[in-house]
Amino acid sequence: MSDVKEIKVMSNLRTANEIQARDNRHTLEQVFVCNLLGSPGAGKTTLLERTLAELTARAKVGVIEGDIYTTKDADRIAHYGVPVVQINTGGGCHLDASMVAAVLPRFDLARLDMLVIENVGNLVCPADFDLGEDIKAVVLSITEGDDKPVKYPLIFRNSKAVVLNKLDLAGFTDVNVSKLEQDIRAINPEAEIFQVSCRTGDGVDRWCDWLLSNLKQTGTAPNIN
Amino acid sequence: MHEMSLMSGVFEAIDAALEAYQVPRVTKVKLQVGRLTNAEPDALDFAFQAFAAGTPMEGAVLEIELVPLAGCCKECAREFEIEGLVFYCPECKSPSIHIVRGRELVLESLEVEA
Repeated sequence: MSDVKEIKVMSNLRTANEIQARDNRHTLEQVFVCNLLGSPGAGKTTLLERTLAELTARAKVGVIEGDIYTTKDADRIAHYGVPVVQINTGGGCHLDASMVAAVLPRFDLARLDMLVIENVGNLVCPADFDLGEDIKAVVLSITEGDDKPVKYPLIFRNSKAVVLNKLDLAGFTDVNVSKLEQDIRAINPEAEIFQVSCRTGDGVDRWCDWLLSNLKQTGTAPNIN
Repeated sequence: MHEMSLMSGVFEAIDAALEAYQVPRVTKVKLQVGRLTNAEPDALDFAFQAFAAGTPMEGAVLEIELVPLAGCCKECAREFEIEGLVFYCPECKSPSIHIVRGRELVLESLEVEA
């Protein structure tokens, strides 16, 4: 029998993505970048549509749409007259920093105040891949059930904002919204929590104001077209 | 699906590590996987077998060390294991916690036939 020997490696598998994310952050220095996360059907794209309807007069927003195969979301966003680029992951369950880096040259970054990156619908792995964003925000629709923060804590831990969507349906479900908020706070005491209904538009203004408060002052003045 | 993409990174790291050696067969691959990575050991093993087929890693044992989640209190500097994903300091009850362990994804070592 041949000898067995051990090769010590200690190679951090996150390094490549982290280096690229840092480069993206540098490229996007003047732009406020929000990585928008959530399950399929939570209302990420609808929230984004509501947000664009409210914000396009007040800030210059660009959008990257992550999707496994289709351009359906990018088509919806294009109606708002904002620059939008689709990334198809071709089966991959999350965006990574190099996918984002590849499409950044398609934006006129000097003319952007904010870039929203809508990630692939998934509560698991997008939480763990830094894209070079300033903040992560997770959309959770209350119809998904109030156990989700406890079952997928990482995404709630890593998000600066949690948008609870479909509040208009609260009366039709057994979801306890205050318990849901309590669970989110136990995982992430510093999270900003927004209660919205993207169907009626309720609460979206508060979320939009908060986004605007995050804009980087060094960029172009948002109100001048 | 998540584990497949993680494992593709593991195999890139293995290839890079073996570049300097002539290795006919790898017998063991050791990984450190933090609890907070959301990676399931069974799914990692399944992905490992799929990637290993037809390579020097075929038949190798995948050894996973699950790294528990640990935090350090920003107020009182106490370090502790975070259980049940409740992010409060057991000492001073502060919710301001810095995660110090549990996010690892490290290719630790390889055992190879020399």
